[in-house]
Amino acid sequence: MDLLKGVRVLELGGDTSAPFCARLLADYGAEVIKIEPPGSGDPARRKGPFAGDDPHPEKSLPFLYLNTNKLGITLDVSSTTGRGILKRLVTEADILVQNLGPVESEELGLDYAGLSASNPAVVAVSITPFGLSGPLRDCPAGDIEVFAYSSHLYHSGDSDREPLRNALDQSWYVAGVNAATAAMSALFQRLFTGAGQQVEVSAVECLATHMVQAVPYFDYMGAIKGRRPVRGSGFEELMPARDGYVVPSVQGSQPWAVVAELIGLEELKDERFLSGAGRIEHGEELKELLIRGLAEWDRKPLFEASGERRLVFGMAQDAGDLYDCPHLAERDFFVEVDHPVAVSALYPGFGPLLEGEPYQVRRPAPLLGEHNREVFSGRLGLSDDEMVCLRAGGVI
Amino acid sequence: MGNSPLAGMRVVDLSRVFAMPYVGAYLADLGAEVIKIDTHHAAFVDTTRTITGPYLNNEPGEDFWNRAGTFQTLNRGKRSLTLDLRSEDGMRQLLDLISISDIVLENFTPRVSVRFGLDYASLRTARPDLILVSNTGYGHSGPWSAFGAMASALEPTHGSGAFMGYLEPGGDSKLTGSAVPNKIGNSYTDFLACWSAQFAILSALYRRVLTGRGTWVDLAMYQTGVSFFGEGLLDFAYNGRRTRRLGNRHLSLSPHGCYPCPGEDCWVVLSVRDDGEWVALCKAMRQPALASDPRFADPMDRYENQDELDGLISEWTSAHSQVEIVAALQEHGVPAAPVQNAAQLLHDEHTSGRRLFEQIDFPQPAALGSRTFLGRGWRLSEADVRVRGPAPDLGEANSYVLAEMLGLSQDTITRLLDEKVIGEELSGGTAPGVVPLERQAELGWIARYDENYGGTGQPCS
Repeated sequence: MDLLKGVRVLELGGDTSAPFCARLLADYGAEVIKIEPPGSGDPARRKGPFAGDDPHPEKSLPFLYLNTNKLGITLDVSSTTGRGILKRLVTEADILVQNLGPVESEELGLDYAGLSASNPAVVAVSITPFGLSGPLRDCPAGDIEVFAYSSHLYHSGDSDREPLRNALDQSWYVAGVNAATAAMSALFQRLFTGAGQQVEVSAVECLATHMVQAVPYFDYMGAIKGRRPVRGSGFEELMPARDGYVVPSVQGSQPWAVVAELIGLEELKDERFLSGAGRIEHGEELKELLIRGLAEWDRKPLFEASGERRLVFGMAQDAGDLYDCPHLAERDFFVEVDHPVAVSALYPGFGPLLEGEPYQVRRPAPLLGEHNREVFSGRLGLSDDEMVCLRAGGVI
Repeated sequence: MGNSPLAGMRVVDLSRVFAMPYVGAYLADLGAEVIKIDTHHAAFVDTTRTITGPYLNNEPGEDFWNRAGTFQTLNRGKRSLTLDLRSEDGMRQLLDLISISDIVLENFTPRVSVRFGLDYASLRTARPDLILVSNTGYGHSGPWSAFGAMASALEPTHGSGAFMGYLEPGGDSKLTGSAVPNKIGNSYTDFLACWSAQFAILSALYRRVLTGRGTWVDLAMYQTGVSFFGEGLLDFAYNGRRTRRLGNRHLSLSPHGCYPCPGEDCWVVLSVRDDGEWVALCKAMRQPALASDPRFADPMDRYENQDELDGLISEWTSAHSQVEIVAALQEHGVPAAPVQNAAQLLHDEHTSGRRLFEQIDFPQPAALGSRTFLGRGWRLSEADVRVRGPAPDLGEANSYVLAEMLGLSQDTITRLLDEKVIGEELSGGTAPGVVPLERQAELGWIARYDENYGGTGQPCS
């Protein structure tokens, strides 16, 4: 995939949001240089789980997943020398994406004023929980706080229990993909104006824009949408099947008879259930019948039979199921990635595929400082002596 | 207007429901001219025009197909052309329009898109450098490619439930990871597809300017969903671990959770990343002695004794208001947030000050008045990006597109009207049945409602 061939990206900060943004750009062909602090590296290197459950900085699975297709260098951007080198890198960059806090950004000269002084054409992307203005600008927040503040958490989980957090730091992923779009909007505009600009991304606000039902429900009717009811028809909910959970659905263009026929319980064909209103009216009874009917099915045969009948059922799959999925296999979703420390494994691939351009992992996540020589001497023309000097001074 | 990133770009939006229409809305925010291909035949109309609602004060009204709130959000700033694609005339106008457009959005199943001749091979003959996004449940290849899909069934299918579920009481007075998957909800997968499509489109536009090449994006929602959970999948690849359901807890941080406050369905979240934040939490709770309690002395102690710790925190949160708790925690630098509902979000000082929401006046005062639109999670400092206006009335751009853009004569347009290829009023349907809010609350579709709301946009209580 070479949509972004020739685009040069710098990534600073770490953990999930900025790295995911930069990974998306790299997957579409941009050259990404990931800048990590010498010694400790990206905080994600300390995040579990780890390959072989060995808490080694080159074996963090979030880190390995989020940083494929990138070059990695170390640079102490808080030192004067380090900042000078960063400035030279910024001069040659098209996009800089970072997720440092607003205060830290300013102190390091990584705010827009500082970056545009080095390169007025740079697209400078900042990802923070609350954005760069407003009363909460400097409040610390993790994924669960972002999810809660955005109001997404209020709708996750069961209505008779506490709200339930999303899976695997999803807030940062959503912020990362939004940042990639915003960065490309600015870079596209630059083709015509020649000028860079500041791109400000708030993770809270990215999540909040998912509320396309909950916000109008209040704005139009004064109604608060809550979490999913525990009671009800059971359709569009996770329901137990013989070997796990499935999501039966009446959506799609098929009449009720097709749903009843598939699940296979004679009582489901009762005319009380024919209409949507009837199914709501007799929801409790329908749910009992559904539980009985679904107990006769394993997940996958039911899912495939529903698809063949143009119904839109789902099933709960775990990581092992996904690695075993014939559909993902046929679409070459998993890609073999060889990593010198964590060893080789099959990595999940990419979503929006491009015709005739297979997804490629050109390189595994970089080892800490792996591309220092390539970037500092190859790109910036630093001599061996200078490199030694920087190393001794702890700058790289 | 001069600095709208997509000024001069034209988008043909054939898509329905949530994910792709929202892509089109954002392209309109960025300045593109987005033409939604609608139909006035009720059996084929975008369901967000009708059954998704919600309607102002829960009253659909006469031209209900122009008035639904979620439809407005997802289709703001677009134009609407009705075309019956089952007719030769309809297809001809569509292809003529595509030949003078830059981007096409569609979410037909592969079977339908090929049958209508809307596959990339066919469309690129109309427009060689076209950018086409085909959004489907499972993509245009593979054994499940013919399957239809919807986000709420797709979400667990692409693995979110493997990593999400409540903790349950286990042995040894511990809480253990659940065997039961749960859902993020809110059509989560639709948004992953939406954001991914936007990124692909902007990237494809960039290349097109430099190389003249068009692009076909085969966006499978299932596969896209899986790619957002990749770090969890690697735990299987490297360690053979299939699931990890921790409730509101964290793999390595504690405390980390959602705690009850007084009031109906009222909660706060907080988390502690290091010893400094732990001491700060104890201060915020006005229990400084807790900081030296050996049960919670270091991160490992706190991790081991989470059940007790969560109990203590819940006691504290239960005794104070949500506002007090969050203020105390934020003042002491502890990561914390209220679990906001939509009303709180809409009237929140931080987000409203940052103009996350944009107020749009509807042209006819009788219709919807002034309504609040969700904006975007990002800002561009030098670009004009904003909600351009409300969603289009059905077929409002028929003359504009057919006469001005495609050069059809008035006679031809009249004939198309007579033959029902185009139309401006929904035909063949009845107004969506409205369930009273009281009943919706009973059924659990809504948590609660404000009886005296009156559509003002302001919370009463």
